[in-house]
Amino acid sequence: MKKEILSVRSLSFEYEKNIEIFSNISFSLNKGEILGILGPSGLGKSTLLRLITGLEKPKTGEISYYDSILSSNKIFVPPNQRGIGLVVQEKALFPHLSSLENVKFGIKGSNREKNIKAQNFLKLLKAEKFADSYPNSLSGGQQQRVAIARALAPEPDLVLLDEPFSSLDKDLREELRRETKILFKKTNTSSIIVTHEMEEAKDICDKIIKLEQGKILNLTI
Amino acid sequence: MIKGYPLSIFWKSVPAVLLLIFLAPLGFVLLSLFGEFGDNWNHLINYVLPNYVFNSIYLVLGVSALSLILGVGTAWFITNYDFSLRGWFEWAIILPLAVPPYILAYTFTGLFDSYGSANELIRIIFNLENNFVIFPNVRNIYGAIVVFSFTLYPYVYLTTRMAFLNQSRSLMEAGKLLGLNNQSLFFKLAIPMVRPAIIAGLALVIMETLSDFGAVEHFAVQTFTTGIFRTWFGMYDLNTAMQLSSMLLIFVTFFIFLERHERTKMSFSYSSSTFKKTKKTKLTGLKNVFAFLFCLIPLLIGFVLPIIELTNWALFFPSENFLSKNILNSFLNTIFLGILAAIFCTFFAFYINFLKRFDKSYLLKTSSQFLSLGYALPGLVLAVGIIEFFAFLDNNFLKHFLDVFLVGSVLGLILAYMIKSYALANNTIESGFSRLSSSIDDVSLTLSKSKFEIFFKVHMPLMKTSILTSLILVVSEVIKELPATLILRPFNFDTLAVITYVYAAEERMYEAASPAMMIVLIGLVPIFFLSKTIRYSRPGTK
Repeated sequence: MKKEILSVRSLSFEYEKNIEIFSNISFSLNKGEILGILGPSGLGKSTLLRLITGLEKPKTGEISYYDSILSSNKIFVPPNQRGIGLVVQEKALFPHLSSLENVKFGIKGSNREKNIKAQNFLKLLKAEKFADSYPNSLSGGQQQRVAIARALAPEPDLVLLDEPFSSLDKDLREELRRETKILFKKTNTSSIIVTHEMEEAKDICDKIIKLEQGKILNLTI
Repeated sequence: MIKGYPLSIFWKSVPAVLLLIFLAPLGFVLLSLFGEFGDNWNHLINYVLPNYVFNSIYLVLGVSALSLILGVGTAWFITNYDFSLRGWFEWAIILPLAVPPYILAYTFTGLFDSYGSANELIRIIFNLENNFVIFPNVRNIYGAIVVFSFTLYPYVYLTTRMAFLNQSRSLMEAGKLLGLNNQSLFFKLAIPMVRPAIIAGLALVIMETLSDFGAVEHFAVQTFTTGIFRTWFGMYDLNTAMQLSSMLLIFVTFFIFLERHERTKMSFSYSSSTFKKTKKTKLTGLKNVFAFLFCLIPLLIGFVLPIIELTNWALFFPSENFLSKNILNSFLNTIFLGILAAIFCTFFAFYINFLKRFDKSYLLKTSSQFLSLGYALPGLVLAVGIIEFFAFLDNNFLKHFLDVFLVGSVLGLILAYMIKSYALANNTIESGFSRLSSSIDDVSLTLSKSKFEIFFKVHMPLMKTSILTSLILVVSEVIKELPATLILRPFNFDTLAVITYVYAAEERMYEAASPAMMIVLIGLVPIFFLSKTIRYSRPGTK
């Protein structure tokens, strides 16, 4: 039986008073599973990821990670204590750090350990060639490889990806999502991918949910 | 922005305490509005107040327009085009920042008065009669507009240039592909995208213009500040002077909030990772000459001419040596005060803007806005506010418990400089932070970094240029500050600005030239450094 890693129960969120983004949302994710969240823009897909990482606080509901509660009416674990990785569409690489230093940023341990681990992850993402390059000299695809390596390097059990491939061209997008899927399966990392493309979701995800008018629809692949 | 991750009350209370200290002297000034309005108000309203208002507005409009053209124009040419001596202009264009408006005003009259150096030179060269005058009279509002614009345009240049440097080439290329010509690219794409930076620079120019006293007084232009000074020292009516200051403060407050409102309407975040450096277009022929002259003229008027005149006075009519004990002491005092005030201002501006990234509370936002208001205060009014505030603390607390006095101590000066210069530090740091995408903070947090680590490992290295710019702007502001220093300095404690003023007020221009030159020279050192850093200010550029 697969172990449940993340559980979201009756989650509601509003930006300002009375502007409700979604309400009463529930879903769960098992270890090693890839979940796709589909839906049109502006309906709160990214907000859902921000709630799971702790970058936003829900109005009501509960988020559990393994056996601990991350967010509820009484408990709120700050984002830097949750151990959940995040990859955003704009990559958000630190422009003053090289690719290797970017990947090292979240790793704990001695400098030697950090170097070895960061280089390994760059290699897994086929990004070892530009380890010493700065973000502004990399292409969009190269930057996204480094961003994924950076999120995976601290070895979180769960990585959230917010439209990670949307700014890339078609061929590169397909190549990178294929490699990402293989990597997640190989490292048994659970992940949630927000996308607005059904084809992408089908290609990479084990299960898909759709956000529509503030509610969740379960879709079968 | 991390809404769900509130900061502790302790961290949030620091800006509130600082705001309280900043507001206290202003409170004493504003309280005067609730006191009695004396008989002098009849005279003011009937004879001079309309002039103060009209001249102040006219001056601000003129200086804004000219500074906008000079600052944005030079920034655009230097960032996007390759023309004769462009590399030289890149660092030289901000040199006028080292010349305070009152020093440029002294040298302007020295040059362009009927018997000034420029008219004399023309008469000698062309063998003209002794009463022949070629240059127009500069002791009027137009002279003041020119003086302020040509010393203050670097504020607009600095903020706009930083924004242009961060403008990705791909955006301009996209504009070209959509059919925009060079002119349309400038007005429809480049300018709207850097509008917050332009407004920030212009706000600095306007506030500096409104709070100046030395230059407008020298040109005999009646503005609010000269009115306040005359009411205080001419009519010996401190209360009416404070009431006039309150009116000026209310006017500037309205302007600041208008500017803030405009700025919040346009939130620009540059996605640093996808940045492509601007490729410069080579200019030839008339276009090359035009760009060259456009950059040369402000530099000539704002820096070269006053330096020539000061050098002429200091070297050919020397009466006080650069290394005399008097000047050396004043130099050390000036540097000590400048560095101390710059460190405090920059630290607090960085700290408060850092907090604002994580907490969008109304208290924090308004604290930051109110802290910047002090820049609008004329130095002499601020000085009176501080004296009254310190006297209140001395008489009610310190005298009884600690047996120390704040009035007459160097603390009054530091506080005055901090209140006056905080806006400079804040505008620079805030503008720097606005270019850092909030995704960078989000990702740092999910990589298990505390706010403390984000502060030191991410923001500090990325904000190096902004921090340096802030330090330099505050130091150069403190070096030039005159009225507050005159009133608040401890006994026998002179600064370069004070001795320059004392000599100039006695029409001893040759004696004033040496300390004035030193003010300019001290202001130059950080400016050279700043020019070089700005050139490589793009994060990740080695």
